Amino acid sequence: MKKLLLSFFLSFCVISFVFAQDKVISGKITTPIAEPIPGASISVKGSPAIGTQTDASGVYKLSVPANTKILVISFIGYKSKEVAVSGSTINASLEEENTTLTDVVVVGYGTQSKRDLKGSQSSVSAKDLENLPVTSFEQALQGKAAGVLISAQNGKLGQGITVRVRGAASVTAGSEPLYIVDGIPITSGDLSSTSAPTSALADINTNDIESIEVLKDASASAIYGARASNGVVLITTKQGKVGKTTINFSALGGISTPSNHREFLDAQQYVQILRRAGDGAANQDFLNGDYATLAAAKAAYSASVESRLTRYSAGNTDYQTYKINSNWEAASFQNNPVTQQYDLNLTGGNEKTKFYIGGQALDQQGIIVGNSYKRYSGRLNLTNKVTDFIEVGVNLNFSNSINNRLSNDNAFSSPLQSVALSPITPFIDPRSGLISGTLPGAASNYPVYYNPFIGIDNSSYKATVYRTIGKAFANVNLAKGLKFSTEFSIDNLNQNEEAYYGALTFRNTGTSNGDGLNISTFVINTNTNNFFSYNTNIGDKGKFDAILGTSYQKSTTKYSTIEGQDFPSDSYIKLGSAATKVTATSNESAFSFLSYFFRANYKYNDRYLVGFSVRADGSSRFGANNKYGYFPAGSLAWIASEEDFLKTSETISLLKVRASYGLTGNAQIGNYSARGLFSGTGAYGGSAGQIPSQIANPDLTWEKTTQLDLGLDFGILKNRITGTFDYYQKKTTELLLNVPIPQTTGFSIKTQNLGKLTNTGYELGINTENFVGAFKWSTALTASINNNKITDLGGQVLNTNEINAAIAGQPIGVFYLPEYAGVNPANGDAIYYLNTVDANGNVNRTTTNDINQAQRIFAGNPNPKYIFGINNSFTYKNFDLSVFLQGVSGNKIFNAGGQYMSASASNGYDNQTADQMAYWDKPGDITLVPEPRLFYANGVGNSTRYLSDGKYIRLKTLTLGYTFTPEVLSKIKLSKLRIFATAQNLATITGYKGWDPEVNADYQSTNINQGVDFYSAPQPRVISFGINIGL
Amino acid sequence: MKKTYIYKLIFASMLLSAASSCKKALEINPVDTIEQSQALLTSKDVEVALVGSYSAFGSRNFYGGRPFLMADFLANTNAIEWYGTYEELTQTINKSLLKTNTFVDNVWADGYTAINDANNVIAAIAKVDAAKKNKVEGEAKFIRGASYFELVRLFSKAYNDGSPATNLGVPIVLTPTTAITDASYVSRATVAAVYTQAITDLTDAEAKLPATNGFFATKSSAAGMLARLYLQMGNYAAAAAAANRVITSNNYSLNAAFIDAFPAMGSTPGVNSSEDIFAMQVTTLTGFNGFNEFYGSSTYGGRGDAVISQAWITSTYAANDDRINAFYDDGDMFTSKYANVYGNVPVMRLSEMYLIRAEANVRLAPAAPVGGRTPLQDLAVVRSRAGLTTTTATLADILNERKLELAFEGFALHDAKRTQTNIGSIAWNANNLVFPIPQREMDANKNLVQNAGY
Repeated sequence: MKKLLLSFFLSFCVISFVFAQDKVISGKITTPIAEPIPGASISVKGSPAIGTQTDASGVYKLSVPANTKILVISFIGYKSKEVAVSGSTINASLEEENTTLTDVVVVGYGTQSKRDLKGSQSSVSAKDLENLPVTSFEQALQGKAAGVLISAQNGKLGQGITVRVRGAASVTAGSEPLYIVDGIPITSGDLSSTSAPTSALADINTNDIESIEVLKDASASAIYGARASNGVVLITTKQGKVGKTTINFSALGGISTPSNHREFLDAQQYVQILRRAGDGAANQDFLNGDYATLAAAKAAYSASVESRLTRYSAGNTDYQTYKINSNWEAASFQNNPVTQQYDLNLTGGNEKTKFYIGGQALDQQGIIVGNSYKRYSGRLNLTNKVTDFIEVGVNLNFSNSINNRLSNDNAFSSPLQSVALSPITPFIDPRSGLISGTLPGAASNYPVYYNPFIGIDNSSYKATVYRTIGKAFANVNLAKGLKFSTEFSIDNLNQNEEAYYGALTFRNTGTSNGDGLNISTFVINTNTNNFFSYNTNIGDKGKFDAILGTSYQKSTTKYSTIEGQDFPSDSYIKLGSAATKVTATSNESAFSFLSYFFRANYKYNDRYLVGFSVRADGSSRFGANNKYGYFPAGSLAWIASEEDFLKTSETISLLKVRASYGLTGNAQIGNYSARGLFSGTGAYGGSAGQIPSQIANPDLTWEKTTQLDLGLDFGILKNRITGTFDYYQKKTTELLLNVPIPQTTGFSIKTQNLGKLTNTGYELGINTENFVGAFKWSTALTASINNNKITDLGGQVLNTNEINAAIAGQPIGVFYLPEYAGVNPANGDAIYYLNTVDANGNVNRTTTNDINQAQRIFAGNPNPKYIFGINNSFTYKNFDLSVFLQGVSGNKIFNAGGQYMSASASNGYDNQTADQMAYWDKPGDITLVPEPRLFYANGVGNSTRYLSDGKYIRLKTLTLGYTFTPEVLSKIKLSKLRIFATAQNLATITGYKGWDPEVNADYQSTNINQGVDFYSAPQPRVISFGINIGL
Repeated sequence: MKKTYIYKLIFASMLLSAASSCKKALEINPVDTIEQSQALLTSKDVEVALVGSYSAFGSRNFYGGRPFLMADFLANTNAIEWYGTYEELTQTINKSLLKTNTFVDNVWADGYTAINDANNVIAAIAKVDAAKKNKVEGEAKFIRGASYFELVRLFSKAYNDGSPATNLGVPIVLTPTTAITDASYVSRATVAAVYTQAITDLTDAEAKLPATNGFFATKSSAAGMLARLYLQMGNYAAAAAAANRVITSNNYSLNAAFIDAFPAMGSTPGVNSSEDIFAMQVTTLTGFNGFNEFYGSSTYGGRGDAVISQAWITSTYAANDDRINAFYDDGDMFTSKYANVYGNVPVMRLSEMYLIRAEANVRLAPAAPVGGRTPLQDLAVVRSRAGLTTTTATLADILNERKLELAFEGFALHDAKRTQTNIGSIAWNANNLVFPIPQREMDANKNLVQNAGY
């Protein structure tokens, strides 16, 4: 193999060119308004090897053969021009390219003209990402790339965002795309020590990003082989530009509010429904024979209910007059939290050295009390031409973020869980003058639950991240068209999570003298890429390019956790002061990938394109038998508009059809999933112990996805209307599945290659220039349909949360629930359809009050089938306005908190949503809310009762800007000045009754567990004002 | 010239990366865990695996408390008032368990995890030093036998309900799982077969275990578990004999005060009391008191969800019964037995043995009582500690004494079943007093048959 590679490279290197040169031409290349274009290339037509570039002032000098007739002048972003040679001075002006279709886009290990792409990839450029009050760039990407579903789990800052490219391609292995920043696979994913995920991607400053490419089909992504089946996101950061150093400063400041509120019962309603629930339960006890008379039962319950109401009313009878009417929901949100963002960047360079320096300070306060996020980041991208054929450079990104986090959605200490507290409970306990539930006093059972507001003042969870991503690289032009690139990078992530729970949080932590946690996470991810790229012309009309290279990545993660209790006082929060140390652990885990890759493209006559790529990937994660996998892909395209029959068309300016097919893989499983393991975590009573921790599967191998993509790119009316349309069929086999095994084995799951799923869909992207001229109006639309279906799971049903399931024949995460039939008008029982199927296939639609007897049905898909985004941009004179709408459809949402908050007071003393007042009260009542029966759990089991439609359309961004004219600018000595106002999540139309339809409770989110709401915070509505200044 | 130099450099680096590409680059071994094949090679390896078996056995979902708490919930009529929101326990106290109840699933899973852990120890027993071999094997078999007993009485019909030889028990697995094969999909054995397995294990354990063994299982732990098991089967002679062996070992004695039989209220970890024949150890670092979680008020680290009815306390205990003081008022009434988040979980106390011997002697009325002590004498031992005098020792007296002495320790359901006493209006052998086979397990193993009523 080694020898083979070597000889292959050698064969590339021997090609060299020698020409006789006997004539010198010089000149200047400019824009139409006579600005010089530095770096433009000038070459002899037919002999591209004879060429040069313009210097910083746009001037060039080139020796050419005496018989040279025509020069070709080109520069990225401008239309190429052919100029006839006459005399020794040739000046030319290049016109700007006005269509995106000829842009150069970033692809794996290189760049390519967009026109020559044969695969499917979505491009989003800086102008669509900048100046938005977001924490992480994925939020800015939402709705802007067709086929890419981006959804936040909740409205907490810096927390998990789910990204799915063309649907989930896996069931229990990871389904997140691979993230590549400037050629480097960076550490991504969740490094949170709580069950609520954070994202390592949040360390990247969105405003440093020049472009994002989402590689979707196999031909685009298979160059990343074993990790490409969930798509690849290529992020390219801003680079230096030749010319005078420009300094840009931006500032953005805004105020956030929750995008929606949810209504709960007031004091009067709360007292009413609980009293009624006591009566309801008394009636059941009486019917069960526990009491001799109904009156006796009611009396007993009434005494109990009144005593509880007294307790929750701070021990007095104020509840009887509804004197206290606390709105805990409203109290969970902060007053006018501020978002601020300041960016300063410098770009410049000359023909030898170019640089980009960017810095940002970001300070966001969340809508939920106690939540904030700060980030300071800097970037230096530098390149230097050492000689005429060697270019070296560094990309350096460093950042420091501080996230004051909240408890996960499932914790009593999560502020929004305070909605469960009673409206009759005062915020301040009049007996102590302290926040209700604060010690000393009635803290252990007052209020109903631990009051999260105690935690706001008496606890903290701060995650501090120091991140450095550094890359050094060199590009060596070995010969005409042959380049060697080598890059080495280290992505170092240091995270420290510090938590302290003060003595007053006792009811939550169970420790009376404080509890402190200190968790350190250290990830070092090194990567090296070494590859040759080659391009040449073959004959007059043929163009060939290829890359060949290797890549090696190793990533090591180390954790350590210490926890201590019993602090002298809450003034001491560091663990040195803890009298008792309760946890001290450390862990380490690592993986590596060794890869070889090759890609070749051939273009004939500017219209016939063919491409092939293959990658061989080896990973430490798999067993010895299956360490390597091979991932080939091929593609074809035909630019029909180059053919004579269309070339002259006035209407059709571009028509390209393309097809690709290939294989990609997925390796997002645990680092040691193939092995049978024992763990030393079996300590008991102070003695060390070991326990079996994992069952072996030596045959474990890659999850494989084959993908077919058929696409069409078009431009109409001189590219006033451009568009792209794709159909894809993605088939994943040998799923990396955590298969439930009989627990009688002592294990509950085994990771194995079992099962199949498919994603098929359509994507449409259309850009139109509706009006050009003084009033400009352009529209960008993305829309996609994805059909996800699991076709085989080996007969397994994965249903861990008893809500979502993975089951053959259904989309992943399908809601699998008993079907709620409403309320029996005769007695107020919650009833369910039996839905049993007899031998003839007839479904029994009779009802039962026993949820156990009701068969589960496939009640809906938590993943949107349709996603879309539409942006309309208007400019008139100095004003610009953009209106961006985004939405999803075809999905459902399950309110898992419903069993507590919408339970017709049948499940305890939790406050109820306002709709529960429509409860069944007397025989004959027709309602969907069952009779309140305290602690009788009437209708609270997981069923379609808590399922609702999840579609929404949202006015995601509305921006109005004003750019000052050059006349004004010249007076104030600025090169650019723009002021703007932008609103995020201004309005949402949805049928969902909860806080926000963009939801998936953080603590339980998996590929399967989607679309579940559990006291999850809504997205913020951020109204902000900003300024961009250019010096 | 310069270019040649650079080419050489590049080829060297390519070669280097290709050379490092050999297997080494992909060979990354875990450092937190070890390969199964390397885990059980020495005597010490097996001994630490035994300790690991205790940790699974003592999980909150198993002997750490929850199945006992759930059994009491199923048997509850008016003693426990449930204010919690854990739907799993709401179902339990309402006697309407769902197949999907995750607490039920956890009992099953952790029970079999303990069994598999013990099976690993038993299968590797040849590695253990001769001097320790019996002790290690005895402890592992104690864990396995006790696990099967607990599982079969929760997930199957009572031994005295119909025919144990045909009623379905739980699957029996006696070898460690090293790979998933067809043999891993085990069917349910009969109730009788599971009881037989538990007896075999516990008998063997009793023979091999030492009389004292720190807080780990002892000869008496195994004998006591056998006494409890035989009593459940209605084999009173064997029950009395086993209980007698525990009492006459003289290794245990009742605490002077009833309250001292339980961990001191608070949050300081303690040692076993003198009457603990076996208790699951809880420290600040390991173990979990599954009773405290729900019975403990929040002042004592619990959730305070399971409140004890004041009316029940007053109507159950005589005013001069010291055990009436084993409750505390923290807004509601709570049992003091579990008012310590780091308290050991009492699994088996000496007073149970006195009551078993007394009950068996009453039922069998042999010419000479087993142990040479009359039921009245045994009953008096238990009652006098509570400050009560004892005049009669009828079967009813003894059964009632079990309620008073062993309240909230997980006996109510199993006593109701073996004495065929209905729970409120629910028949003692009703389907809903038996745990369902977890739906998850039914889905994973098609060879399992669901219990009636689910």
